[in-house]
Parts: sequence; C-alpha cells; structure tokens
Amino acid sequence: MAQKVVLTIGTKKGLFVAQSSKSRGKFDLRGPFGRGIPVYASLVDTRGKRPVIYAGSCNPFFGMKVLKSNDVGKTFEETKSAPSFAKEDGRALANIWSLEPGPDGEIWAGVEPASLFRSWDGGNSWEMVPGISNHEHARKWQPGAGGLCLHTILRDGERVHIGISTGGHYLSEDGGRTFAASNKGIGVGFAPDAFPEWGQCVHKIAGHPKAPGRFYIQNHGGFPDRPGIGVVRSDDHGHTWRSIAEGLPSDFGFPIVVHPHDPDTVYVVPLEPMSRTCPGGKPAVWQSENGGKSWKKLVKGFPKEKTFFTVLRDAMDIDDLKAPALYFGTTTGQLWIGKDGGEKWKCLFEALPPINSVKVSVV
Amino acid sequence: MSVTIHLPTALRKYCGGSADLPISASTIQAALRELQSTQPSLYVNLCDETGAVRRHLNVFVNSDHMRDRDGLDTALRDGDVVTILAAVSGG
Repeated sequence: MAQKVVLTIGTKKGLFVAQSSKSRGKFDLRGPFGRGIPVYASLVDTRGKRPVIYAGSCNPFFGMKVLKSNDVGKTFEETKSAPSFAKEDGRALANIWSLEPGPDGEIWAGVEPASLFRSWDGGNSWEMVPGISNHEHARKWQPGAGGLCLHTILRDGERVHIGISTGGHYLSEDGGRTFAASNKGIGVGFAPDAFPEWGQCVHKIAGHPKAPGRFYIQNHGGFPDRPGIGVVRSDDHGHTWRSIAEGLPSDFGFPIVVHPHDPDTVYVVPLEPMSRTCPGGKPAVWQSENGGKSWKKLVKGFPKEKTFFTVLRDAMDIDDLKAPALYFGTTTGQLWIGKDGGEKWKCLFEALPPINSVKVSVV
Repeated sequence: MSVTIHLPTALRKYCGGSADLPISASTIQAALRELQSTQPSLYVNLCDETGAVRRHLNVFVNSDHMRDRDGLDTALRDGDVVTILAAVSGG
C-alpha cells in the first residue's frame, strides 16, 4: 500500500486527522474527534502490523479519556480507562500532556499534575510510574502558566529523559525505575538562584537516535538579566547543558525539533517573551545546521509583517521522508507546512480551532 | 431510600444507555458510593480520584442544587430524583 503522511492535530475543540500522499500536496481533513473537548497529546504508534492512533481527550466536565483509532483516524473509540491516581494519593488527573511509545509495546503518558503512567494493553489500563511521579521533589514542583505538566518523555536505551514545567529535566539511567534532577547549566529567570538543582521551566526536549547522548532543550528564556538560558544543548546524556541561544532573535519559545536525518540540524520558533508571539509581527522558524553554533531564519512563504501567532510546545513536528517537511500549528488555528526542511512554507489549514499539538507520521 | 439517578445524554453510554438508574441510598454521598460499586465506568465521569464531584457537574435533588441543601450529606427520601447535569460553560 502506498505510504501516507498522517497528521494528528490536537485542538481546543477536539482532534483532527489530516492525511496526504507522500507528495504532501493536498491534505484531507477528518474530525473533530472527541468533539468540543481539548486535546493536548496524540501518538501515531507504528510499531505493530497496522498503525494505531491515540489521543488524550481532556474533558473538563467528565474527566480524562484516551481515544484510540485502529483505522488511521477514520473512527475513534474511548479505551477502557485513562490514567488515574489512587484515591489515597490525593492527586486528581487534570490533563494528559504527552503520549509516547514505551518499551515492549507499552504506551507512556505524561500528565498533569506532573506524573508518568504506563499501559501494557493499548491504553485500556494504566499504572503510575512511581520513580518520577512520587519523586521527592514531586509535591514541591510548581505549575507554569500551562499547568504542572509532564510534557516530554524521551527514551534513549535504558535512559529516560523527562521534561516537567515547572520542575526541569529529570533523568533515569535504569529504564525509568529511578530518576534524578539533571539540570546543570539550565537556568531560570524567575528565582534568585539562576541555576537551581531543579525547578526549571523546561518547555520541550528533543533528541536524535543517531546522536546518543545529545539533547536540545527549549527552556523558558526571555530574561534580559539572564541571557541565553532559553536554548541549551547537552552532549553527555543530559548531565550537563550549555547555551546555544546566541544568534537567535529571542531565546523564548516553546517547541524544539531535530531533523530526522541530521542530528546537527535543529529548529525553534523564537517568540517575543512578554506577548509570546512572533517578534515584531514577523514570523520565522529558525534553523541551525551545526548543532546550535549559528542560526538562520526560514521565512519563505510566511507573511512579512502584522502576524502575531503563537506556537505551543507540542505544536511542531517533522516527518521522516527523504526531503522532510516541518509542520506547526498556531493558537490562532493555522496549520503550516514547511517543505524541504522548512525552506518553503505554506498554510495548509487557515481556520482550525486553537492548536495545542501536532504530530506527523508516515504510515 | 429508593431514589432515581437521572443522567444527561452524554453519560448514558457509560451505563448501558439508561437515562434513569434506580438505586437505594440515604444521602447523595451514599448514592455516589453505590454508583462507584455498581457503575464504575459511569462513576469516574462523576467524581475524580479523590472522590470529589467533578467541578463542572451540578447535582440536584428534585429541584434543589445540593449546595443549597447539605452538599454531599443531603438526605434523600423515597422517590427523590437526583439529577446530574453538566454546567453550561466554555467558549
């Protein structure tokens, strides 16, 4: 069967699924699924014989649901349960922020309040991962503007990297059994100590399988007194980090994405830190092709002025075709595609609901 | 006390399509405990993990909101109808 490019688009009003041929010329749109209910996280799981799509449906009335599709997003059904805390824990699930493939076919879910859950049976039952969820810091983490969210789950062999806002980067080197805060070199602008052990407002973490040990973070930057803390890199499995923000128009932003075929090529969307919109009203994705030593802006196809959109932490992704395309969604409902690694931009959908997340998969 | 739980359309799929569930309970709290036991899929839509009624749900006994009586301790009488409604909110 011919390969298809599938986008899962989590919005304030439900999940949309867009599908195209490999040419990525025209995308058909389906949805919304979980109509009217915010979706912050989705996953296209391609590990089995056929792809399975999962999405967190964050129902403010009736609680969290996990939606699942076995037909590439034509229909969805709720799984038998969603992650939930034990009654004696005292916490109540407020949101599902990340869905990622775990080991041995598991699905892992990062939630609010910041905790990690795993499912062995395709999302029908869930179990808390205590090493991070009950970490000694867990009851002291503070919510950022988006809530106290565990938004990034990155696996690198036996290592597991977790991003929490506001908690920082946590690292497990035993497959997720135990975790330690690992934020040396990641700064904060909202506390007297610029480089605390933990408590950073990490926005997103990205890595690349061809460069084990190397990771990039879009951190909460934009502090004039503490320049450069917003975009950092690690080359030692996340034990230490250093700034790579020089050359960017702002070190504030939310998403960070690595090119699927080149771990030196990384993309960010700098935003003006107070308004969290395009600096000067001029949208641009910024690209480094040398691991953050220098940056150039990618603007072809974007409006040249009077454009003030916001791209949230999970709202940008890149496909893994030979000439990959970037995709991002805005909180004003636009879905953009940047073909040739972001060299040429085009708006695919102009008026979706506010977009929280975008995932792409070739199936 | 023999009472009826009346459910909004959106929740009926979690209890086999029923709009009305007859149960025996002496307070709203006891009614929720009964639902937790007999209708667990429905219950998780009504209450969070701590046992609190979800924030955007309203619980009425006949015509009275439970907050205007004794909250979860509101006593139920034979024939009472406990109506659960989602708040109308959002943008």
